[in-house]
Amino acid sequence: MTSAPQSASQRAASEDLADVVRVLGGETAAFEGIVRRWQGPLVNMAWRYCRDRGRAEEMAQEAFVRAWRGLAQWRREGNFSTWLFALAANVFRSELKRFPTVDLRLEEAAEPSGPDGQFRELATKQSSEAVRRAVLALPARYREPVILFYFHEMDVSAAARTMGLPEGTLKARLSRARALLRSRFPQLEGEHAAMELAELSTGKEA
Amino acid sequence: MKPTGIIRSEVEQNGIDRILATEEALIPSSGFLASVMERVREEAAAPAPIPFPWKRALPGMVVVAGVLGAGAVVFVRQALPAMHGFTMSMPPVPAAAEALMKQAGWVALALWASLASWILSKRLAGRTGLL
Repeated sequence: MTSAPQSASQRAASEDLADVVRVLGGETAAFEGIVRRWQGPLVNMAWRYCRDRGRAEEMAQEAFVRAWRGLAQWRREGNFSTWLFALAANVFRSELKRFPTVDLRLEEAAEPSGPDGQFRELATKQSSEAVRRAVLALPARYREPVILFYFHEMDVSAAARTMGLPEGTLKARLSRARALLRSRFPQLEGEHAAMELAELSTGKEA
Repeated sequence: MKPTGIIRSEVEQNGIDRILATEEALIPSSGFLASVMERVREEAAAPAPIPFPWKRALPGMVVVAGVLGAGAVVFVRQALPAMHGFTMSMPPVPAAAEALMKQAGWVALALWASLASWILSKRLAGRTGLL
């Protein structure tokens, strides 16, 4: 009888558990495994909160240090990653409360550029960045659900667990946030459709 | 980080979704891991914080609480007989001044009501994201 191969997430979970046990046993170097596995997700998560690379790494570092200090508080009922993301979200939230990243109102967020012109690719990138920056201008209660929902690859339950909120509440806030973004960028739908259409037609021509 | 139960059908896919869902992944800088571990080692090497000396402080705290309690009892005992002989008396106010004060009272009430409604509307507007 052959056992089914472990999935990547199962393997990561068992490695996390083993490393935590070693760290709690006094082996500080074992924490390196945890950092190695989760540095990418945590830096990316922090980046979505502040859109500043240097600051994202500082915030992620702070989250790891707090995780190291509070490692004994992880009750092994859930995944280590769930606990780590929730802790990191708390750290990022309080860091940004202390030093806000942008002092921008939603209505002041830059307009996405149109699809016309020869620099279409650049225009697409600029408009995408305008929307991502506008997320930071959302009121705090709507901003975080948006950040975490897309960070968790549109997984409502994972985002809700990270925020410590019921799924229904998260969905309601998410819906409100998207309505606010849509009201700020009403032209985005049409433009993107037009751009995709234009890209398709140029692709055919080529 | 791998999602287990993606609920894509529950959210409508639009341009904003496409933009926010397709963010390029950031790769941590080469020295990130080393700097985290350096901080962790510093934390590990630092002496543990000195716990509050409850055992030593407890007797002192009990004494302070006892003194404060006794003081309160003495104060109440002395204040009660003194309160019996005390009567509140308002200075005589002329009729014109009394009418004026009544009007001032109404003005103050109106101002208070306006302030309360302004605060309430601001909070409601903030909650809906209008402010």
